[in-house]
Amino acid sequence: MKRLFIWLGFALIGIGIGAYSALAMSGLLPGDRRTGGPIEVNGWHGDFAMGSAEASPYFRARIARHGLLALANTEAVYFTRLTDDSGRAFTEDCTYRISGAKMPARWWSVTLYNESNFLPSNTDDALSFDASRAGDGPWSAIISPQRPSGAEGWISSKAGGDFDLTFRLYVPDDGVLESPVEMINAPRVERLECGGDPA
Amino acid sequence: MRSTFAPLTLAALLGAAAHFGILHYAPTFIMDRAYTMLGQRGTPLHGFNLAPRMTAETQSVVRPSPDLAYSACRFDLSSAPNGVRVAMGQFSGYSSLSFFDAQTNNFRTIRGNVEAQETVLLRPAGGTPYAPVTEAEDVTHSPSQKGIILIRRLAPTEEEYVAAAKAAQGDECRAL
Repeated sequence: MKRLFIWLGFALIGIGIGAYSALAMSGLLPGDRRTGGPIEVNGWHGDFAMGSAEASPYFRARIARHGLLALANTEAVYFTRLTDDSGRAFTEDCTYRISGAKMPARWWSVTLYNESNFLPSNTDDALSFDASRAGDGPWSAIISPQRPSGAEGWISSKAGGDFDLTFRLYVPDDGVLESPVEMINAPRVERLECGGDPA
Repeated sequence: MRSTFAPLTLAALLGAAAHFGILHYAPTFIMDRAYTMLGQRGTPLHGFNLAPRMTAETQSVVRPSPDLAYSACRFDLSSAPNGVRVAMGQFSGYSSLSFFDAQTNNFRTIRGNVEAQETVLLRPAGGTPYAPVTEAEDVTHSPSQKGIILIRRLAPTEEEYVAAAKAAQGDECRAL
């Protein structure tokens, strides 16, 4: 009988370790939010294998959970970030300025998501900022829970909690897939203030 | 030492099986849930459904873009043995017609390029003979029987969404 329990115990431990490691490595554990990826551009992380049959099984599982129905890289590339330029996690309690210039793509956008990978529950109609609002030159927008007073663009973080941002480039220019760091001048995100206190 | 070698080997084997089993089946499981959920929210089998403008209340799949108008069609080639005709209506802005298999792979995308686009979706190569299609017709082979087809149209404003909705009237997803 004792021998049976030993075998059973080892079997359960093996299954537990195998299952937990798979869930952890593929981003399937509750609380894991990163689509992540090996490519880093100005603090934004991406993986051009998204949507591709060549994606590793770990990344495919991660994308199924965090970015289902993402397009393959010839049509769109995706980057995410969870922190500002100083490395502090995004929170709706703070105000940020996101800024950039012309992007090497036919169209681009930056969208804010909550911890559950969904659009936050607010009715501000300001959950993203895109190329059509930015024009051809340098641009900036405020990320805050209340509409800013100036004429600057706005991404509402109301009800966003500890949010993250996704940066999409649709129909990337030639060379982006080969040299993303050199080609993409990804947006900067500067923390301006938190709860009325300067950052 | 000797007495624990065999149970340790069993633990390692079962651990590896659990690890790779989860990796293999997780995308299929998640895609199947999305397939079912889209059906419950009004996306028919072999028919496009234009989603309302993406907001917190209307989103049904993770990380939707509020700047895009989405039309989705679910396909099941086991109930469409002659294939599925898929067409994307002409749209003046950015648009794409993308195909996703049961493993979540985006196995083909056709860009709109301000023109209507059309293809015939067929079962994986090597199956039973396909219904004849004319040589002029574009053909897409699906790696799996079931999957999701998605049309994206750039529509960051209400006005552009209305234009996208008008273009979506030319979409077609029909079992042959």
